[in-house]
Amino acid sequence: MESIVFGIGITALAGALATVAGAAENTESDIGSQGDPNSQVQLAPQMGYIHRIFNKAVAGEPPAYGLWIALGAGIAWAFMAMQINPILAIVLGSGIAVFVQGVYATTAYLGRTASLAKFGQPVYVDILKSMTTVTMAHAFVAIFATVTLCHLINAALGHPFPLPLLGIVWGIALGAAGSATGNPFYGKERQYQNQKYGAGVPIAASGNIVRYAEAGERNSLDNGWFSAKLGGPASGVCFGLIVFLELWRTVLFEEIGAGWGAIIIGIIIILVFTVIDRYIEVWARKNYGPYTKPEEASS
Amino acid sequence: MSAIGAKPAAGAAVDTTAMVVGIIILLLVIGATYYLFGSGLAFMALIGIIVGGVLIGFGVHFVPVGGAPAAMGQAPGIATGVAMLAAGAGLAGLFGGAWAAELGVVVATITGAIGGGLMMAITCMFVNYIYVFGMGIPSASGKVAKDPITGDTQAEFKSQGTEGHGLPFVSYVGGVIGGLFGGAGGTLIYLMLLDLYEEELPAMMNALPAQIVPIAVTLAGMFAIGMFLVNAVLAAYNITGTIEGPHDPKFKRFPRAIVASAVASAVCGIVAIMIVAL
Repeated sequence: MESIVFGIGITALAGALATVAGAAENTESDIGSQGDPNSQVQLAPQMGYIHRIFNKAVAGEPPAYGLWIALGAGIAWAFMAMQINPILAIVLGSGIAVFVQGVYATTAYLGRTASLAKFGQPVYVDILKSMTTVTMAHAFVAIFATVTLCHLINAALGHPFPLPLLGIVWGIALGAAGSATGNPFYGKERQYQNQKYGAGVPIAASGNIVRYAEAGERNSLDNGWFSAKLGGPASGVCFGLIVFLELWRTVLFEEIGAGWGAIIIGIIIILVFTVIDRYIEVWARKNYGPYTKPEEASS
Repeated sequence: MSAIGAKPAAGAAVDTTAMVVGIIILLLVIGATYYLFGSGLAFMALIGIIVGGVLIGFGVHFVPVGGAPAAMGQAPGIATGVAMLAAGAGLAGLFGGAWAAELGVVVATITGAIGGGLMMAITCMFVNYIYVFGMGIPSASGKVAKDPITGDTQAEFKSQGTEGHGLPFVSYVGGVIGGLFGGAGGTLIYLMLLDLYEEELPAMMNALPAQIVPIAVTLAGMFAIGMFLVNAVLAAYNITGTIEGPHDPKFKRFPRAIVASAVASAVCGIVAIMIVAL
């Protein structure tokens, strides 16, 4: 009984850490335009729209986070093998991984933006100075939280994978969940705030991103503030639920029926999410209604 | 400039010569493994790895990925890369499957499949959540007039100047099925290699079986992740960019990916086997 209570406690803590990690990851990637919306940041100067948006996308979020978290986890693992306190080891590992992320962000921004020189897009040094540190701070939160949850899974729950391997698994999953959930909110809702709400961006408007803020020109800190209102938290809850439910079904139900208990619970959870998804889809169709009459659309 | 406007670089046609060459390479690798190691554990591991690789390559075709256009609500699907999303789901499945390894191949593989499906179910639900409640946009497919599962009409829910947006129900189901296949395939590769390494490493390193477990787990895990990425990227090349799910015409290209995944998994597999069995 005590081991189950302990397992549930660790599961809840890991889920909470994953939620924080997901929110920080999405906000970090949106400040750096690292998800798919980077295509519009890169396209805008080519269409004549010079901007002050940070763009560090030279790898997708999942492989980038796979690298940084595996790096943080690997270094923390090495420090722990040297009998250094786990918390200190994780902080040191995450710190070194964030340093790599900072170098990556700097070179990526310079490289991507310099490639737009023939379209008249300047490299803004003040943008580089002010944005890089903010992405590094968010990346530290995401890396630290994820490495910590990997450590809990390994040390407290007894998963057989060593820490660096768990780091790459959950790093890629974190990037995948964060980019899937958060990208549309940044790409459509923020970059194309000048387009109609409640409709996709017409293809003809590609590249015409919003470049002005309430005062002066918009920069990526404004975008981070906007993402933190919904895209970030939703990514956090998404990744948190993935980690929590995966651990929860294993910790509580794997011993029932020699593993079949966890499988059945997993199937039930998938069905519950399927029902929720269908409800959301039908709710939108009923409440928002069609854009055109069915006969016009089909003709 | 849009990825939506671009014509697919490769059509759905199957290149017979390439398929025959692929199958010959596959048979050669299987034959070489049988010749070198007999019909024992190493041979069974190779077959398991090939089956696992094929499951991954096939499963990736189900995952609805819209890439950059999806991030602007210009095309349906999940706004990220094919290989990345499939890897995220499959590795989450591998995580669960590896945890259940001691419960046997069948239970562990199904546990891995459910782990991948669970990750995709939650992610796909949140994609629709963001589209509907964050952006006020309903789901609409650009490839079919009616959702093949629910029968919902799609065309009138496409906003002007777009190819559709969000995840219609068939795409959601495709995502979950893709996660199931990916998780099962990754776990199967891991289990096959783990069995082989736990059998061969003690004699090779002159150590007790219990001492060898961490090394065997690490090696099998690294190879499983590596082979997962190989198969996911191969399938992504076959898809060329974006796919809506099983109802998308691009889905019909999967036979090429199955042969390619089988060949790539066999070549990677024999390397993974040779490090201990030779």
